[in-house]
Amino acid sequence: MPFTRPRTRPPGPRPGGAAATGGSPAGTRAPARTGLTWRQRLSWLDVRLSPYLYISPFFLVFLLIGIFPLAYTAYVSFFDWSLIGGQGEYVGLQNYRDVLGNPYFWKSVVNTLSIFVLSSGPQIVIALVVAALLTTYLRVPTFWRMSVLLPFVVAPAATAIIFGNVFGDRYGLINQGLDLIGLGPIQWHVDRLASHLAIASMVNWRWTGYNALILLAAMQAVPRDLYEAAEIDGAGKVRQFWSLTLPMIRPTLLFVIVTSTIGGLQIFAEPRLFDNTPAHNGGSDRQFSTVTMLVYDYGWRLRELGLASATSWLLFLMIVAFAILNFVLVRRAGRHL
Amino acid sequence: MTRRPGFLVYGLLAAYALGSAFPLYWSILIGSSTAEVVTRQLPPLLPGGHFFDNAARVIDTVPFWKALGNSLMVSTATACSVVFFSTLAGFAFAKLRFRGREALLVFVVATMAVPTQLGVVPLFIQMARFGWTGSVWAAAVPWVVTAFGVFFMRQYLLDAVPDELVEAARVDGCSQIRVFWHVALPAAKPAAAILWLFTFMQVWTDFFWPLIVLPADNPTIQIALNQLQSGYFKDFSLILAGAFMATVPLLILFVLTGRQLVAGVMQGAVKG
Amino acid sequence: MQHRNSRALALSAALALSLGTLAACGSDDGGSSSGDGGSGTTEPVTISVATFNEFGLEGPIEAWNAEHDDIKIEQKKVGTWDEAKENLYTKLAAGSGLSDVEAIEGDGMPAILAESDAFVDLASDDVEGRWLDWKQAAGTDADGRLIGYGTDIGPEGICYRADLFEKAGLPSDRDEVAGLLGTWDDYFATGQQFAAKMPKTAWYDSSGGVAQAMLNQVANPFEGDDNTINVENPELENVWATVTGNVDLSTRLPQWSDDWTAAFQNNGFATMACPGWMLGVVEGNASGVKGWDFANVFPGGGGNWGGSFLVVPAQTEHPEEAQQVAAYLTSPESQLMAYADKGTFPSQVDALDDDALTQDVRPFFNDAPVGEILAERAAAITVQPYKGPKYSDILQAFQAAILRVDDGSNTPEQSWKTFLSDVDQLS
Repeated sequence: MPFTRPRTRPPGPRPGGAAATGGSPAGTRAPARTGLTWRQRLSWLDVRLSPYLYISPFFLVFLLIGIFPLAYTAYVSFFDWSLIGGQGEYVGLQNYRDVLGNPYFWKSVVNTLSIFVLSSGPQIVIALVVAALLTTYLRVPTFWRMSVLLPFVVAPAATAIIFGNVFGDRYGLINQGLDLIGLGPIQWHVDRLASHLAIASMVNWRWTGYNALILLAAMQAVPRDLYEAAEIDGAGKVRQFWSLTLPMIRPTLLFVIVTSTIGGLQIFAEPRLFDNTPAHNGGSDRQFSTVTMLVYDYGWRLRELGLASATSWLLFLMIVAFAILNFVLVRRAGRHL
Repeated sequence: MTRRPGFLVYGLLAAYALGSAFPLYWSILIGSSTAEVVTRQLPPLLPGGHFFDNAARVIDTVPFWKALGNSLMVSTATACSVVFFSTLAGFAFAKLRFRGREALLVFVVATMAVPTQLGVVPLFIQMARFGWTGSVWAAAVPWVVTAFGVFFMRQYLLDAVPDELVEAARVDGCSQIRVFWHVALPAAKPAAAILWLFTFMQVWTDFFWPLIVLPADNPTIQIALNQLQSGYFKDFSLILAGAFMATVPLLILFVLTGRQLVAGVMQGAVKG
Repeated sequence: MQHRNSRALALSAALALSLGTLAACGSDDGGSSSGDGGSGTTEPVTISVATFNEFGLEGPIEAWNAEHDDIKIEQKKVGTWDEAKENLYTKLAAGSGLSDVEAIEGDGMPAILAESDAFVDLASDDVEGRWLDWKQAAGTDADGRLIGYGTDIGPEGICYRADLFEKAGLPSDRDEVAGLLGTWDDYFATGQQFAAKMPKTAWYDSSGGVAQAMLNQVANPFEGDDNTINVENPELENVWATVTGNVDLSTRLPQWSDDWTAAFQNNGFATMACPGWMLGVVEGNASGVKGWDFANVFPGGGGNWGGSFLVVPAQTEHPEEAQQVAAYLTSPESQLMAYADKGTFPSQVDALDDDALTQDVRPFFNDAPVGEILAERAAAITVQPYKGPKYSDILQAFQAAILRVDDGSNTPEQSWKTFLSDVDQLS
């Protein structure tokens, strides 16, 4: 297969923000228009127009399936809009006021953040460790890399079903195990923190190996001679990791954190399928209701699309704010490493 | 310098790998038991030999083959479409200069952060207007192009295609489309294959949108799984057998293309 | 026995069916596009019927399709009503995508009636007087349009584990048990007795189930007859206090949850409120467990839990054919077949004294004369709770409130306060 050969450029992803400024295009400035042959004129047109020809299919389709629904959702958020009755009165910012005044919104925000922290924190630490283990000169490295990536092929729906069974409050595997060693059962679906842990464990299971491979790529891109120099200076493995590897892979780390923020703050399938209560909105006391679940709850259970849309936009702002915050924090932390 | 690592490293990695595999093993374990065994106090330790019985019941209970076919069709078609649109646009963003390029690229990057759940209702209404609801292709619609695909191809082609080559071809009088065809496309193949794989998996695992847009008798595999789980009585041997069966196609893909997937992740494929 | 029953039913249904269509051919003036000549040269119309859980309509549908070339019925099954409901509303919102016939759960019917413009008026002389009065009333909107054809009703008896009763030193014979549980006070007191002997087994399956059963006996649980929401009424407060005061008798599990399902296999509880359609659920969840029985009693008199309707959305392209199919599927013959298959108790007057129903015994429930018992339970129903358009939503909030006390995440006081604010949000 053609794509099995190793890439020549140093692997490792680029952080999204920096991408826009990278690269130097080869397109040339338009030649002076005077005295052109038809052929040159055609070629000039070709150079000027074909980029738009290449990007327009994407943008046309994207406009239809990406941008229009977004704009339309924003529009809906300013109306009293029932799922069935359709468009009602213009209410200005009232939907936003209602959402912000709803205690469930804030509870969902806290839950989302808590699940996010519980999944992202350990995930990145463990991914770093696994990546460090994978950088050693293993026999059959591909086997080990594939084995850590295995959970990635299990869909969230299947993951939630399997973990939901393992985390059963009464007859689940984990509680029966705890019982065997004489510990009381944990109310995985009732206790707020426990439920966050259970959901975070699904996310961690599925994504840690994936992130470990990304970090592995970044680690391998760190020039060997730097390590050799550090070794000569008498720096131990652990010290090398802290003061050489970590700073060098900082952009990748940022990338991993930002993407996990985007995914993590939208979490929906896992908590919804984990939920045992009839309403499926995140536990009897909304112990693990997330913001996206609230969007669904407003839109499809209470059938208030205006409120659902407003919540969507608040979630969007939250994600953007966090992406920026991550970016700044990792930048700043980088200076101290 | 090329010392082999010791037992500690292998031990830790093996423990991690076992942990990764355990939930799947659990689904086989429960999926091969009977309902009575599953809900009794202590779980079995070895598979119980009822897997094929349970699989047969899964096929009886939900339109499994139809769901499998639908998932294959939708995922394949979407993956092809994403690769096509992304390679074209990615090449333009990476290697061609045009007015508004930077702004449009920033726009593409920014939309990667947009919650996909945001546009579900208007999308659904659009589908209804086109009369597509109920058709399995409706499940593909939100995925036929992705901002991520464009960004991914652009990042790859930035380095994979030397500027000099593009320049030389152009000076030689090659039209842009020939530059694309003869220079960009061959160079893009590895990345295209990876993008194809990841899009395929992303669409395969999608849950939210097909749940809304597809009728129960024409589901994708994830939706069939949901039907299995939300019955009036819950037979976990059945449900977990189904969860495993829904995963098998991706496991096969994983075994066949594991190297490429690993390479793809290491090149920075972004999660959905 | 049961097999023979269903075959006889299939035959009689097919017969009724052909008579029905003949009659339709005679009276129908060709307003419908369906086969007047009956010669199958034209493309058959396919009528899709969306159901949830188990309606037991497979038999009737098969019989119809064997008999008809012009109209074919295709059933689409979704998991639960909650899921079906979300799907239904999404597609109502989109203005298309619904099946030609949709099934609606009884508690969700008032909300559908509030949107009755989106559905076809199914009133017709052919079905006049087919249903129990209260069932038909629950399918009729404020303007008197008949929106829903009733399928089944849910007269409640008590399912119990005779073996566990014996272990606890309680009488286990179904008539004696019936004598034991006549009022809610008796029910809870017997539960205390049971709990004293059997501390590891709960008395009933879930607080939610008991709350639902008690609500089914309240005239205006959540809303006044003018649809004004009033949840701070003495009856509801009484249900609340009783249920939350007795959570120790419950498994403290939400109904339909994984652990609740597992409790059937683990001697998790001894009794539960059983409407007809629940019998199939018990049999499925407790497969392999011996000792289940069904007592001809319900605390506090009779009660109806659930039971569904078939409606025809106005967006269908084949309203006449859809109505024809809905009428067929809710005929006494079809519903008797459904009962034989899944235990859904018919809401059709003519079905109630049919032998197929009254002679039915179920081996799983220790050969209990289930049909006879359910018929008597149906006759004992005296109160039909008033259900306004918000009933289903408030009920969901109420169940969540009970669950918060059940699972220990709230005190009853806290949980009641949250319930009140949830209800505020709904209005």
